Amino acid sequence: MIVTPKILARIAALALAGVLLQLSFFSRVELFHTSPDILPALVACLALLGGSMTGVVSGFSIGFLVDCLLVEALGITSLVLLGIGYLAGLYRERFEIHGSLAPALLCMGLTLLAELGFAVVQLLLGIDAPVSTLIVRDMLLKSVYAFFLGWPIYLLIRRVLRPALVEEPKVRRRRQPTVLGA
Amino acid sequence: MYRKQVRRRRAVLALLIVGSFVLLTLTYARGSTGFQRGVSTIFSPVQEVADRALKPARDLVDWFDKTFDARGENSRLRAELVTARKQAVATQEALQENGQLRKLVKLDRSPALAFSAYKPVTGRVIARSPTVWRSSVTIDVGSSDGVHVDDPVVSGAGLVGRVASAEGGSSQVMLLTDHASAVSAKVVPPGVQGVVKPEVGNPEELILDFIDSTKRVHGGQSVVTAGWRAQGLASLFPPGLPLGEVTRASILQQEAQQQVDIRPFADLRNLDLVQVLTGGSRG
Repeated sequence: MIVTPKILARIAALALAGVLLQLSFFSRVELFHTSPDILPALVACLALLGGSMTGVVSGFSIGFLVDCLLVEALGITSLVLLGIGYLAGLYRERFEIHGSLAPALLCMGLTLLAELGFAVVQLLLGIDAPVSTLIVRDMLLKSVYAFFLGWPIYLLIRRVLRPALVEEPKVRRRRQPTVLGA
Repeated sequence: MYRKQVRRRRAVLALLIVGSFVLLTLTYARGSTGFQRGVSTIFSPVQEVADRALKPARDLVDWFDKTFDARGENSRLRAELVTARKQAVATQEALQENGQLRKLVKLDRSPALAFSAYKPVTGRVIARSPTVWRSSVTIDVGSSDGVHVDDPVVSGAGLVGRVASAEGGSSQVMLLTDHASAVSAKVVPPGVQGVVKPEVGNPEELILDFIDSTKRVHGGQSVVTAGWRAQGLASLFPPGLPLGEVTRASILQQEAQQQVDIRPFADLRNLDLVQVLTGGSRG
């Protein structure tokens, strides 16, 4: 991805919209007693399109903004999301993204990883209360929601960042090329 | 060229990881920083607009969720209605008796009077933490409305939590389901006291811990805030705020304690309007 100031502004706008949407909408709705978390999917999609550098920086910035808005200890969300951004970017740099399901599946896997990351960081920092086994259900459902939300997020980000993407979508040929005289 | 790029990428990754740890070390367990308060103040009007704009969409998703839940809840509510009718009759009798006793002793200590020292400030929830590990909401009233850190927060059904930090136009409320939350409470009618703590990951249940096993607690009994005061120290919550209903009580033989599961009266997952009890004395 070629990052110009205009593209940077678009990425910042996407990140801001994603964070506001998460805190004001997705965190406050529940399906089967679990709220979707789109932030790992958002970071993963940015990294899948922009590479590991974009993933790491956007993951850190989105996490920082979330912690600032919730007035929580800074660094926890940043640490988890920058890891997700790096892994998604690394995948993009090492493997081809085959098939339309690949981004959705990656969002699902990386959301599960992010939830596990949050759990590990929180347990390392200390928990003052017993932990319910229902947390496993919450993690699994969050990753399932990420599968369904990952694909539209990926398409939206690809559309917004299209001018900066190195890999242009294939142009469909209207006519098959013919040999002169054939 | 490629190696240089890889080295640069790794350097940025290492720098940001170190940055995260530094931020965590500087801000963990130290409350909000001035920078965070500034960002929160700038964004709170934007969050408020986003909250109002997204309310119809949120209501639609809630409607789907509640429709799924309604089936299971119907039979439970029927059973509860029968119990509630019986309790209502008993309460009427107790109220009559109470009124007569009040006249006799000339005391008037209704819970409502205990709360009258507080000035309730109504706020709307504008944001919520995305992870179950931290259970907090942002409300659109802050220090400019008279809200202070540690003020109790209630909904129509009962206690919700307390103010964790207050900025100009917004505040963070630590919910009862946050792992750092602990409320001294008592079971009524027996008056057994304990500490209400959450079970992380399960927003529908709280645990009443440190209860003396010699006094038995039964399902259906109500739990309210204890509101103690001793040697210059006082509970953050006034006495008598409804917390929840006992769903299960079991004796832990090894610890010689009773552990009581509570279903909170307030729906902590779907909060919209809350009241901050400002002013007033603690305990």
